[in-house]
Amino acid sequence: MEEKNIILSVKNLEVKFKVRDRVLTAIRNVSLDFEEGKVVAIVGESGSGKSVFTKTFTGMLEVNGEVSNGEIWFEGRNLMDIKNDKGWEEIRGKKIATVFQDPMTSLNPVRTIGYQISEVIMKHQGKSKAEAKAEAIELMEKVGIKDAERRYDEYPFMYSGGMRQRIVIAIALACHPKILICDEPTTALDVTIQAQIIHLIKDLAEEYGFTTIYITHDLGVVANVADYVAVMYAGQIIEYGTVEDIFYNSKHPYTWGLLSSLPQLGLKGEELFAIRGTPPSLFEEVKGDAFAPRSNYSLKIDFEKEPPIFKVSDTHWAKTWLLDPRAPKVEPPAVITSLHERMLEMTKKGGVYGER
Amino acid sequence: MRKYILKRILRSIISVFIVVSIVIAMIFTLIPRTKVLDLDTSYRKMTGDNKTAYRFTTFEKLGYLDFVRISDICAESENPSACSVNKSAEQQAMLEKYENDGYTVEYFRNGTPYAYHDYTVFELALNFWKNLVKFDSVNFVEKTYGVTDLEKKYYIGKDENNFPAIMCSGCEYKYQVYFGHGFPFVHQNMVKLYFGISFPTKSGMHTLDVINEEQGSQKAILQTFPTGVELESPLNQMTAKYKPNVDHLDQTRFTDNYADCKSYYESPSMVETSYIFGIISLVIAYAIGLPAGMGMARNKDGIWDKLGVAIINFLIALPSLALIFFVRQIGSMVFQLPDKFPLLGFGNIKSYIAPILILSLLSLPGLMTWTRRYMIDQSNSDYVKFAKAKGLSQREIFTKHILKNAVIPIVNGIPASIILCISGALITESAFAIPGMGKMLPDAINKMNNNMVITLTFIFAALSIFSVLLGDLLMTLVDPRIQLAEKKRGSE
Amino acid sequence: MSEKVIKTTDDLDPSMFEFQRADDSASEHIAAPKYSYWGSVFRRFFSNKIAILMLIVAVTVVLFAFIQPMISGYDHMKTPNINNKSMHYIRPFKSFKYIFGTDDKGNSLFDALWSGARNSLFIAIAATFITESIGIIVGMFWGFSKKMDVVMIEIYNVLSNIPTMLIAMILVYALGAGFGQLIFALSVTSWISTAYFIRVQVMIIRDREYNLASQCLGTPTYKIILNNILPYLISIIITSVSRDVPAFISYEVALSFMGVGLGQQHASLGRMVQNYAPYMTSAPYLFWIPVITTAVISVSLYIVGQALADASDPRTHMI
Repeated sequence: MEEKNIILSVKNLEVKFKVRDRVLTAIRNVSLDFEEGKVVAIVGESGSGKSVFTKTFTGMLEVNGEVSNGEIWFEGRNLMDIKNDKGWEEIRGKKIATVFQDPMTSLNPVRTIGYQISEVIMKHQGKSKAEAKAEAIELMEKVGIKDAERRYDEYPFMYSGGMRQRIVIAIALACHPKILICDEPTTALDVTIQAQIIHLIKDLAEEYGFTTIYITHDLGVVANVADYVAVMYAGQIIEYGTVEDIFYNSKHPYTWGLLSSLPQLGLKGEELFAIRGTPPSLFEEVKGDAFAPRSNYSLKIDFEKEPPIFKVSDTHWAKTWLLDPRAPKVEPPAVITSLHERMLEMTKKGGVYGER
Repeated sequence: MRKYILKRILRSIISVFIVVSIVIAMIFTLIPRTKVLDLDTSYRKMTGDNKTAYRFTTFEKLGYLDFVRISDICAESENPSACSVNKSAEQQAMLEKYENDGYTVEYFRNGTPYAYHDYTVFELALNFWKNLVKFDSVNFVEKTYGVTDLEKKYYIGKDENNFPAIMCSGCEYKYQVYFGHGFPFVHQNMVKLYFGISFPTKSGMHTLDVINEEQGSQKAILQTFPTGVELESPLNQMTAKYKPNVDHLDQTRFTDNYADCKSYYESPSMVETSYIFGIISLVIAYAIGLPAGMGMARNKDGIWDKLGVAIINFLIALPSLALIFFVRQIGSMVFQLPDKFPLLGFGNIKSYIAPILILSLLSLPGLMTWTRRYMIDQSNSDYVKFAKAKGLSQREIFTKHILKNAVIPIVNGIPASIILCISGALITESAFAIPGMGKMLPDAINKMNNNMVITLTFIFAALSIFSVLLGDLLMTLVDPRIQLAEKKRGSE
Repeated sequence: MSEKVIKTTDDLDPSMFEFQRADDSASEHIAAPKYSYWGSVFRRFFSNKIAILMLIVAVTVVLFAFIQPMISGYDHMKTPNINNKSMHYIRPFKSFKYIFGTDDKGNSLFDALWSGARNSLFIAIAATFITESIGIIVGMFWGFSKKMDVVMIEIYNVLSNIPTMLIAMILVYALGAGFGQLIFALSVTSWISTAYFIRVQVMIIRDREYNLASQCLGTPTYKIILNNILPYLISIIITSVSRDVPAFISYEVALSFMGVGLGQQHASLGRMVQNYAPYMTSAPYLFWIPVITTAVISVSLYIVGQALADASDPRTHMI
């Protein structure tokens, strides 16, 4: 596995938040490697720690949060050694860029679009105003803004939601970052626009060769663009693998639950599957497998001891005791065993993979 | 856009109109008019018919009623001489006619009748607005004095200092538009506002002249008169009004009948005085308040922020009067500043320090709170988060992004600080005995000087209302998002 | 990561690998820290040391103002010692009976002070009460009714742009100096600012999803106002009250000082400041004790109000 080119490596990361005099552990001992040029999707329900996890890469945690343990290796140095904003400015935007959920509020309402793109170019590439403008216009054209020259001096309120997200992407790419973190980039957009944006990011990733990290709870997006999928639950990655691994050969009951509850898979007359209960409180120490109380497949040991990582294949691993040789043999639910066929069927009907 | 501005100006005018009308109605109906004379010393000394006549003339002058003496009544009669005989049939008929017109007829002790008509609230307000604006015209002299041989024309001439001026022959004023000393440096005599007569203080003067005219003792300056005479005189030639009869002294100086001039005085007028204090203190308040508020927002929850918030809260909670006296006391004890303005007067800079400091301190807490609040709100917004993710430094985010957003509500807040400054000026000018408009209002109230109260209400209300308009218009300059037509108020 | 697979060489009991179904209640367990609104309000308020100190000061002053005049029976129109020159200008802290000394007419300044403070406080509290009650009620409906908004906005645009001080002066002048007149003059226009403030908040909260949902489910408007919106406004109302009381005290003092507040027959802090201003140099305590008392009352009430408003804002309960 030496031939793999690891761009970012997270080791034993732990993140804690202070809330009303109590401590919440949002990320519990997570390790993950990101391969250069690949698209990694991090999926999980709200509060599973997806966003917090990626925020640590750029030092953007909220004021009441801190990384209490772990290392993040990037370009030969541990990012956790950076202590102040000055140091982070070398990383943010320049090396690791982020696209946020809501394009409506991500742009400064009283600055022109052009200003907001070219200021990054000027800051990180040290170019002159005129050079920056030329490059900004080129970028705007690249992200699909027609008549960019004219629209350069317009204000965000003159742009539609989808166009603003294109601009946000243009800004993120302005400095040719190594990694692009997309934090639910399409959630706030119309369904029709979503596919366009997803494709845009995909195309640009190929052109610029950056690594993409998607944060999403939309498995449709995942199936469409990702090379690898990391499933997060209660502050941990509980299953990791290629898209094929996760969609057709998943091992963790939580992943099964997630896949079963895809609305696309619902059949007329059949009740849609839902995972019962709520995620555990991270204010208390989680004992055993965090998903055990909600699982239909929980073992006695799940309530006693945290499962280790079981390797399924070279590209696939999961954290569940079900993979222990001593565990009883369990078959995933019927809905997801036929997942492949169902998805193909849907695509045949004229839809895109992942269209809602 | 232009339509919107016109609409807003119209609305502002209507606002002023409503407020002033209400004030006129209240003052003229709720305050017993006999009280007006209570403070008049000459009235107290009078007796008999003189007293009655004086009372009615005064009321007429102040606009309460229409007072007609028998001579005026008889002037309308076909047989004036018969009418002027008391109890004659002719007189009775005329009086009856007046009674039918809504007049009340009463008799002096000597048996001479007189008639008066009390104005209703509506008539009062109507008279006020009807008489408010007076335009000067080329026909003025002919109409008023029956002089027909004076040429009627407007022309561009030169004033005594050889500045060009729009001048007029045939108008009441010789100089229509001219450059001159004192704010706002371009003056005009074409349109005059008339608010009634001041009484009992500065009795007989127009209220606007009372507050507009320079104060103190006359100041003679060396000037050349149209006749070529060069001498030191306090006369302000720019204010030359037509005088039907010029005396010998006038003729030595003036070549025409425009010889009725106002004088130069040592000290600025009440309006100017209030402006000096108001504007300087606002500038200081903004110069301190904006950077302080921004600094606090940048270092939120830091030691300076906490200290600043504590000071702001203290200043807000402290009653204005207490603040004024504390600062005045400290000023006079520690820095030997005068505790009354007239002690050193206009000429000495020491007179200004304490009042200006106080006025600034009165607007400062509001200004700082809002600035800080807006900055913090902006700092928490998504675009700041994104700017941070772009790799901009805190300072860049602050100066390039937050500042431009925060300036918008700050600009919109300018009128509020002007309004506040007026309130502050009312108390501060009274406490320091500063001869400005602010002190004039409580003085006028205490002296029952109704027309003056109305005049000042008009000025303060207009100032406040138009400053709000100005704030909104200024905001359109700094906020690209505003298409004025869609917008009602900045605070929405 | 995927390289280092953990071998299960531990000696776990095979029985551990049997299915066990968790009870449903466990899966629904929510263990966020316990939260009670008023509990948090009190916890936050009493964690603020300055607020506690100011609360003690404010309570003491208010109690003194309302109880002391009843005991002393002071009436500033009665001047029993006016002809006894030795009773005039007794300096403060010289005699236990006249702890703050006596004034130009031989009256006890201590008694005069509390009777004045009572009236000033009464005026401020009454004006605040009227302002807030009318403001809240009108503001609630204003925020909900689009028709009312059209009319009210016009009235607001006229009234809010004129300094309250000017309005109060003109009104007191027209109506005559007096207790009721002053309270009327202070509250007659100030309610509209409160109403506007409430309107904006109501409009913001009104359109929140949970209220729209509630509306869709058929909850009557009054219930939405009462249960969903009013509690949210508590903090805003307290902020408003905590600004109003000191502001009205300030207005009363300033107006009375300029001679356009209360008449001769009433005692108040403002009237005292005005009456004693001529003695500022000859008997400074006469002037400064009322001024300082006014400041202490205003500042303590304001800080207590602000601390309470801060504590009652649910958003501050997060951290």
